[in-house]
Amino acid sequence: MSSTMTVATDDIVAASARSSAQPAPSARGGLRKESAWRRRDRRWGYVFIGPQVLGMAVFVLLPFTASLVLAFASWDGLTELTWVGLENFTAQLQDELLLRSIVNTLLIALITVPIGLGLAVVVAVALEKLKTRTLYLILFFAPVVTSTVAVAMIWQQMLRADGVLSETISKVFGIAPPDWLGDPALALLSVCIISIWSSLGLNVIIFLAGLQNISPSVIEAARIDGAGAWRLFRSIRMPLLSPIIFFSSIVAFISSLQTFDTVFVLTADAGPDNATRTIVYHIYDLGFGRFEFGPSSAASVILLLLTLVITAIQFGAQKKFVHYEDEAA
Amino acid sequence: MPRANSKMRRLLAIGAAGAVAIGLAACSGGGGASDASTVVWSTWGTPEELTRFEEFNAEFMERHPDIKVELQPVASYSDYHSKLLAQLTSNTAPDVFYIGDDKIGQFVDAKVLKPLTELMESDASETKPDDFFPGLFGAAELDGEIYAAPNDSNPDVLWYDKQALEAAGVTEDPATLAENGEWTTAKYLEMNDKLAAAGLTGSMFWNYWATHYSWISSQGGTAYDDSGFVGNTDSTTVEAVETLGSYFQDGTFVVADSMPEGAGADSVFVTHKAGFFSQGRYTIGTVMSAGEQDSYDIVRWPTPDGQAAPTGVATSYLAINGKTKAEDAAFTFWTEFLSAEGQVFRLQGGGNAVPSIKGADEVVLEDGYPAHAQTFLDMRDIGFEDYAAEAVVPGLSTDVSDLFLKLYEGKADAQGTLDAVADLVAEKSGE
Repeated sequence: MSSTMTVATDDIVAASARSSAQPAPSARGGLRKESAWRRRDRRWGYVFIGPQVLGMAVFVLLPFTASLVLAFASWDGLTELTWVGLENFTAQLQDELLLRSIVNTLLIALITVPIGLGLAVVVAVALEKLKTRTLYLILFFAPVVTSTVAVAMIWQQMLRADGVLSETISKVFGIAPPDWLGDPALALLSVCIISIWSSLGLNVIIFLAGLQNISPSVIEAARIDGAGAWRLFRSIRMPLLSPIIFFSSIVAFISSLQTFDTVFVLTADAGPDNATRTIVYHIYDLGFGRFEFGPSSAASVILLLLTLVITAIQFGAQKKFVHYEDEAA
Repeated sequence: MPRANSKMRRLLAIGAAGAVAIGLAACSGGGGASDASTVVWSTWGTPEELTRFEEFNAEFMERHPDIKVELQPVASYSDYHSKLLAQLTSNTAPDVFYIGDDKIGQFVDAKVLKPLTELMESDASETKPDDFFPGLFGAAELDGEIYAAPNDSNPDVLWYDKQALEAAGVTEDPATLAENGEWTTAKYLEMNDKLAAAGLTGSMFWNYWATHYSWISSQGGTAYDDSGFVGNTDSTTVEAVETLGSYFQDGTFVVADSMPEGAGADSVFVTHKAGFFSQGRYTIGTVMSAGEQDSYDIVRWPTPDGQAAPTGVATSYLAINGKTKAEDAAFTFWTEFLSAEGQVFRLQGGGNAVPSIKGADEVVLEDGYPAHAQTFLDMRDIGFEDYAAEAVVPGLSTDVSDLFLKLYEGKADAQGTLDAVADLVAEKSGE
């Protein structure tokens, strides 16, 4: 390290120590005058962060606020908006279609999250010591960088009654192929299989990074204590991977609750007898299919609350299965 | 890295801000024309249909060099109305646009469409109100004012497969029976029973208003009257719906919407696995592309006494934006598009629809296909659009179909279904 760099680092450390140790400027009788370069930097900071803030405001905060307001109103996008209080919420909570959507969405989450993450752990462990793992990672990661619409369209062609998968089953086993997209019981399962397949690559990459981050000294100590491969995996690596599994489970659960494009493309009109109707599809159908923006917004608020509750439960449950390396130390 | 000078940073900042501005501008999308001589119009359609529309535009502009016409197409019907709604809300909607019959009521109710009765009756009009078949206006007419006109129509006829009927041991021809006034419900159901017994599908229907209400109407029942939905209190209707439900429940009739991808209704029909298929004139394209056209013909819906009865006619509408800046040019385009000549231009050569206006019937009969093509015209002449009471309420038609689907799946009985429909209509209509 060069001497100049050492000095600079020392200065930063000293300044940082000073700022935390010294009383706030206001307590010493007003703000210090900001240097000209700092003011200029601050201005440019605002300029550069501006587009991002503007984007957030226009495309996130504004629609969010509008949705919140619309949840208490009746509006079809064309005629005048009228306030209806909690009517949209009470109607939605009694709506069989919303309840069906919630059940379907939770089923998708409960099937895809544990199986998807479990499979990703297995694949990550299998790839960890493999020299050709980059090739496999590319293969597993390809669906992640492919548009979900394209993925759904390809799967739709494969799952058709005359598609590759069905034809293969028919020829190899000599039986009538399952009606993947037409049978209400199988349509949701098809969506789950595609979701697991398309998200596997991302989870494998995350878990692989997590496995490689585990301190070798901990592994070495366990080995010296006589731990075998399974014991090492069960008692050391899995517990130390648990923070990453926890993080991934939260992301995957939220992502599952937002399932839309696969359902929209794969099973038009939410599948046979609404078998694949998810909450986000329900919100879309009410808003843009029927122009019922009030109930649609109410359903989206219900989805938000559901997401918060599930995430809170996950945070509550993490105390029992998430272990951090520093805790162990 | 050298420290960027202030000029460079300023340029970068301007560039970033510009990108955002351009991005926002791009998001706003295109809309109606900003001048009085350009007409922007939009519709959905297949590539073939859109090509025909572009040809119409070119021909129109040749005759009207002072008017420029631009088509703003949307490939999918399911995406079309949400885009149109967004455009109307942001005042960027096209000058002239199509509207589906399941949405027309809402647009009329919202008063965003130009009232057309006076213009249609003017000298500039090639489409007088009386030129159209009255049953096709449906919810496009409100309190005596016309807000849109049907661009064409598609009566849901019963296409039948002669090969399938023959395989099931049916010796009589439905169209011949209809010509003789002997096309009765009993005959039709008997043919369906034979088809089912032969391991074939009897009839395929789409789950939407035209199926339920065509059946009710053809069997002498009444779904709606001036007071609203009355189907649940009319014994003929209940009995008709009971029969309809029982044939779906035992699998003789099939809901086409629920058929699997790749083995859908079209492919079942062209492979001679079903006897009847309720669809419009566009089925010509399906059977032609399969090279199976010789096997098929059409017949109207059966009735208890064999005499013709009104049944559903699907249609879409052409409307003019209430806020168009090209009022005269838009009306010229609108009236010529809908005129008999306009419809002949669009529908000729095995077209996919039936004219909605008098004087253009030759396009349906010119190819002599199907053999009883006249049936399309006869059914249109006496047919009806979705009931306005239902069409004006957002999503009501879909919700009613969801209730009928439960009947078809055996999850509800006829009286229960009709009672549920009556309750739903009353609730959603605010009665």
